[in-house]
Amino acid sequence: MNPLILGIILLTIMAGTLIVMISSHWLFIWIGFEMNMLATIPILMKNFSPRSIEASTKYFLTQATASMLLMLGVIINLLYSGQWTTTKMFNQTSSIIITTALTMKLGLAPFHFWVPEVTQGIPLMSGLILLTWQKLAPLSVLYQIAPSINLNMLLTMSLLSIMVGGWGGLNQTQLRKIMAYSSIGHMGWMTAIMVYNPTMAMLYLLMYLTMTLTMFMLFMINSTTTLLSLSHTWNKTPIITMIVLTVMMSMGGLPPLSGFMPKWMIIQELTKNDNIILPTLMAMMALLNLYFYMRLAYSTALTMFPSSNNMKMKWQFEGTKRMTSLPIMIVLSTMILPLTPMLSVLY
Amino acid sequence: MLKIIFPSIMLMPLTWLSKNNMIWINPTVYSLLISLISLSTLNQYSDNSTNFSLLFFSDSLSAPLLVLTTWLLPLMLIASQSHLSKEPLTRKKVYITMLILLQVLLIMTFTASELIMFYVLFEATLVPTLIIITRWGSQAERLNAGSYFLFYTLSGSLPLLVALVYIQNTTGSLNFLIMQYWNQPLMDSWSNALLWLACMMAFMVKMPLYGLHLWLPKAHVEAPIAGSMVLAAVLLKLGGYGMLRLTTMLNPLTEYMAYPFLMLSLWGMIMTSSICLRQTDLKALIAYSSVSHMALVIVAILIQTPWSYMGATTLMVAHGLTSSMLFCLANTNYERTHSRTMILARGLQTLLPLMAMWWLLASLANLALPPTINLLGELFVVMSAFSWSNITIILMGANMMITALYSLYMLIMTQRGKHTHHINNIKPTYTRENSLMALHMLPLLMLSLNPKIIMGLTY
Amino acid sequence: MNMFATFTLLTLFMLTLPILMTASNTYNNNQYPMYVKNIIACSFAVSLVPTMMFIHSNQEMVISNWHWMTVHTLKISLSFKMDYFSMMFMPIALFVTWSIVEFSMWYMHSDPNINKFFKYLLLFLITMLILVTANNLFQLFIGWEGVGIMSFLLIGWWYGRTDANTAALQAILYNRIGDIGFVASMAWFLSNLNAWELQQIFALTQNCPTAPLMGLLLAAAGKSAQFGLHPWLPSAMEGPTPVSALLHSSTMVVAGVFLLIRFYPLMENNKTAQTLTLCLGAITTLFTALCALTQNDIKKIVAFSTSSQLGLMMVTIGINQPHLAFLHICTHAFFKAMLFMCSGSIIHSLNDEQDIRKMGGLFKTMPFTTTALIVGSLALTGIPFLTGFYSKDMIIETANTSYTNAWALFITLIATSLTAVYSTRIIFYALLNQPRFPPLILINENNPLLINSIKRLLVGSIFAGFLISYNIPPMTLPQMTMPLHLKLTALAVTILGFMLAMEINTMTQNLKHTRPSKTFKFSNSLGFFPTIMHRLVPYLSLLMSQKSASMLLDLLWLEAALPKTIALIQVKASMLVSDQKGLIKLYFLSFLVTLTLIAILFNYPA
Repeated sequence: MNPLILGIILLTIMAGTLIVMISSHWLFIWIGFEMNMLATIPILMKNFSPRSIEASTKYFLTQATASMLLMLGVIINLLYSGQWTTTKMFNQTSSIIITTALTMKLGLAPFHFWVPEVTQGIPLMSGLILLTWQKLAPLSVLYQIAPSINLNMLLTMSLLSIMVGGWGGLNQTQLRKIMAYSSIGHMGWMTAIMVYNPTMAMLYLLMYLTMTLTMFMLFMINSTTTLLSLSHTWNKTPIITMIVLTVMMSMGGLPPLSGFMPKWMIIQELTKNDNIILPTLMAMMALLNLYFYMRLAYSTALTMFPSSNNMKMKWQFEGTKRMTSLPIMIVLSTMILPLTPMLSVLY
Repeated sequence: MLKIIFPSIMLMPLTWLSKNNMIWINPTVYSLLISLISLSTLNQYSDNSTNFSLLFFSDSLSAPLLVLTTWLLPLMLIASQSHLSKEPLTRKKVYITMLILLQVLLIMTFTASELIMFYVLFEATLVPTLIIITRWGSQAERLNAGSYFLFYTLSGSLPLLVALVYIQNTTGSLNFLIMQYWNQPLMDSWSNALLWLACMMAFMVKMPLYGLHLWLPKAHVEAPIAGSMVLAAVLLKLGGYGMLRLTTMLNPLTEYMAYPFLMLSLWGMIMTSSICLRQTDLKALIAYSSVSHMALVIVAILIQTPWSYMGATTLMVAHGLTSSMLFCLANTNYERTHSRTMILARGLQTLLPLMAMWWLLASLANLALPPTINLLGELFVVMSAFSWSNITIILMGANMMITALYSLYMLIMTQRGKHTHHINNIKPTYTRENSLMALHMLPLLMLSLNPKIIMGLTY
Repeated sequence: MNMFATFTLLTLFMLTLPILMTASNTYNNNQYPMYVKNIIACSFAVSLVPTMMFIHSNQEMVISNWHWMTVHTLKISLSFKMDYFSMMFMPIALFVTWSIVEFSMWYMHSDPNINKFFKYLLLFLITMLILVTANNLFQLFIGWEGVGIMSFLLIGWWYGRTDANTAALQAILYNRIGDIGFVASMAWFLSNLNAWELQQIFALTQNCPTAPLMGLLLAAAGKSAQFGLHPWLPSAMEGPTPVSALLHSSTMVVAGVFLLIRFYPLMENNKTAQTLTLCLGAITTLFTALCALTQNDIKKIVAFSTSSQLGLMMVTIGINQPHLAFLHICTHAFFKAMLFMCSGSIIHSLNDEQDIRKMGGLFKTMPFTTTALIVGSLALTGIPFLTGFYSKDMIIETANTSYTNAWALFITLIATSLTAVYSTRIIFYALLNQPRFPPLILINENNPLLINSIKRLLVGSIFAGFLISYNIPPMTLPQMTMPLHLKLTALAVTILGFMLAMEINTMTQNLKHTRPSKTFKFSNSLGFFPTIMHRLVPYLSLLMSQKSASMLLDLLWLEAALPKTIALIQVKASMLVSDQKGLIKLYFLSFLVTLTLIAILFNYPA
């Protein structure tokens, strides 16, 4: 794509999200969402295959519906409270509709059906943007309206998301779909704590962004999109095998890696609010996540997957892709559990 | 405590920066020195515990287990030299790094003074063990073994996390020293029963309790020798250590809740011993024998008398050394015949008499011959179980008999009888192997002279 | 200040010296057996001193040396009890061992591992002495298990032989069953009396309940091969003859009886325990004597004879005469060891032939062994004024004049006569008539090692009974008066047995059964006990462990219950979740349904 056009589109995406994050007027939030969505569509369609177009169509339809629902909720709120600012909404209906719209944008269950399809059809870089940057805007709105969300609804949706994220990912061999289902699951964790302690949701978001970014960058080094091609990395770039193993375990929430920290904090916050069964269920469902991460790690790092090339001698060329921030990301996504006391900076 | 942890962490750069021919010698020697330092923790001054810092402490329960852990690392390194000799240098270094990492995590686990830190490190020990089993095991079943190991342990321990966080919110602190004084008695209610279950199940799975023990034969059999050694010797004891720590805060509910587990353990003890009699796989026999001994430890911990706590601690240390030695012996067989089937290598006493002596000593220790500490632990457990209920003596007696039978069955099967023809050209015993066995046996025998140091909290 | 304790501890310490020397060069040359023999001889001499002091002035002592540990209220330390029993037993054990060690220098001469053999014999002796001198139950248990394991190692000495390994395992199995009883009584003593020291136990129990005594009885039954736990003793003959002589005649098998003798203050007040002991001992002595009648292996006959004598010792304890039982232990050691050594001499001379049907006519070719064998057999049967008479006759007399179970006494008498019968059988088949062995065998018994060792025990078999019984302090009141027929009963049945046996043997020497009678089959297959028990019980337990423990529980149910069920649920759920058509209209339909549901369910005030 022409770099100028690409630059404008990327700028629009960023601008849309920023507008959503910094505005306190509901209309501007809606405008920001629309800008974001419209500018994302070309990014999703970058390689013109029917699969990509189908994916971007599905994305467009879902996001547009969600934006319309958002507008509906905003209008109802205007009707009952008479103002456009994003503060605590006292009206139940509008709060429910706005929450529904935002969760539709996020891809929480039961609105999750589009996420795997869309992620599968688009190239890796677009998938990265879809799963990381696009989550910022809805989550920031949820953060702002956090006190007025209907707790039962959001908790049901998040538990359902964790379950869907776990069970859905078990049956996949395509890496992008795996990342999509993992994203659904992680969104579930985030929204579970949103009402009780939004700061923890932000912490989880930060960790999630770091880990997903790392994973996608690792996939992009060798342009692997399936489990099979990932299992060839021992031959091409052996160092990635260990890193994939470590980051996968971190995403699964195994101590002592840093992925454990947000889950632990969420469990702590939920328990403080006398919610015992829910975090136990969530933690057990996270084991499903861990299972398919470990399967990925097994085929990559710990065993020699059956393939057509078992030769140990292959030309190992210097990597062509420039992954400047990969080392930092790797460290951040695996080793910062001991820094947990630094959480106080988030408050 | 940092004087033990930092040198252990520094063993990793030592491995990576050593010259090619010093790669085994350096970590072994330095880890032996570290184990000497850890011996100083055995000298407990006060009644309570020796507090090194806010984070680490050691008392008479954790000190023997700490010494066992640090003693085991050089032994693991000595044992692994042969099967890694054909691997490229980097992979050897990765393997040694995994062992050292596991060691560091275990040291910190045993000396952690706060329960959440204990939990985090307890879970953290799963990662290097999983990598060792799945990457360096020899058969295809190791994948299944690794998954069983990981998921059995995790699904038992995630409720523990929730329970610990809950206890911290209600009681205010999870530090061992403070908890002794702030402890509230746990009344009999449904939610408290669930809390008890959540706390205990993690350790029950780790011990393992009969019924939840399926991961153990798989993991032990598929792991390479260092993995088997550390699994049998130390990782099982993590469960016992956790139970011993947590039962102090779970009274008096334990009297009611412990019954099903006591019954399971008493019955499972006999069952797993009987399974040992029919095994054809040498490592599986030793693995099931571990389950049987650990069932005794569970019975001891759940009875909660001073004698039984002493018996449990002694039995844990004794079993650690004995089981690890048996695995090393089985490995010497495996390295020569590349099969774990017992009937393939028979009559070894004719060819390798010195190794036969080590087999004999290990089997005698396994069947709890007086005056070894194995007998001491088992005797204390039998005595306290007898005073808890007189009928248990029948089960305990039957277990003693079956244990003697399968230990000597293993000895006779591998060492005695007519030797099979294809072992005519096996390699003779290396000095390395002999010294490995001696390093296992000497602490075991010397502890019989002074078992006071491993008797744990209630001595 | 006398040297009692010093000499005792010196005896024990001297025996450990050769074990310590194994690390040095004395182990690696062929002087080691001589070295061991000399040490044992010196130990014997040294141990005579405390014994003389005991006999002279009735000096007993308890030495409590080294404090091992104190667990709450229980103090366990290394303590030796030098009383009547241990003081008398130690020199006798050392004397017999001295002879046996000298004998085995001849017998095991061609074995390349002879040094290891001697080391094992010495280790056995040390553990036996630990057992005998132990003052607390833990130390006794150390000795108890120690002799069991040494027995395992020595029975399986020729470990290439499957039968030897099986016999060794069998010995451990039966001993372990006894150990259950031992541990049970230890547990009882600990929970009820808080003591493992013998003094404390005896001081605290006036009328002892039956439970711990049952445990001790089970232990004794296991170790001393009483009926029900007896098959290991004949099987133990797989070991070399010195092993049979030392362990399975004089020292190890008497450990069980010794345990009951040690606990006599408890047993004398408990009638149930005594009755059980009496009946068990009586059954044992008759049964094993019956089995001995038709055996063809010379060592097995002597083994059954040992078993029968052990039953007799139990009978003695059952009639509340522990000191007589102990006397019988001491005298029995001499002639039984000698009988085994003579058998060993015959076996070795006939080129390892153990079947008495292939021996004969050794009267002329091996006069010394013949003499020893005949004297030993006579002593065994209790011919007046030989060794066995002083103990055996006293036992039968006391039994006859006591108020006990008449049936038990009756079968003891039958067993006494059967003793004579099978002794005659050995003598007849092995020594008399014409030779039935191949004529090209060189028979030479002129080795001084052999001659001297048997000579010592021969002298002991003749005089030891007299010497011992006239020097020991009287502990109980012997039966002074009884009717003449009761006094002569033992002698009468013995002579009857001799005569009957001689007659039958000469009559049937050249006859053969066309079809063996039922009694013969019963006796020859050891009462069908091993046939039934050694096949049925192991089969059932191994079947149980394979089918139910391993396959049914472990591999099926436990696998299915947790892992496989969970895996199945997850697979089904995941197929449910990830199986999608991908049609966007269905997605929107689901959104509509969800929104409607939400609107209905959640639209109420928070």
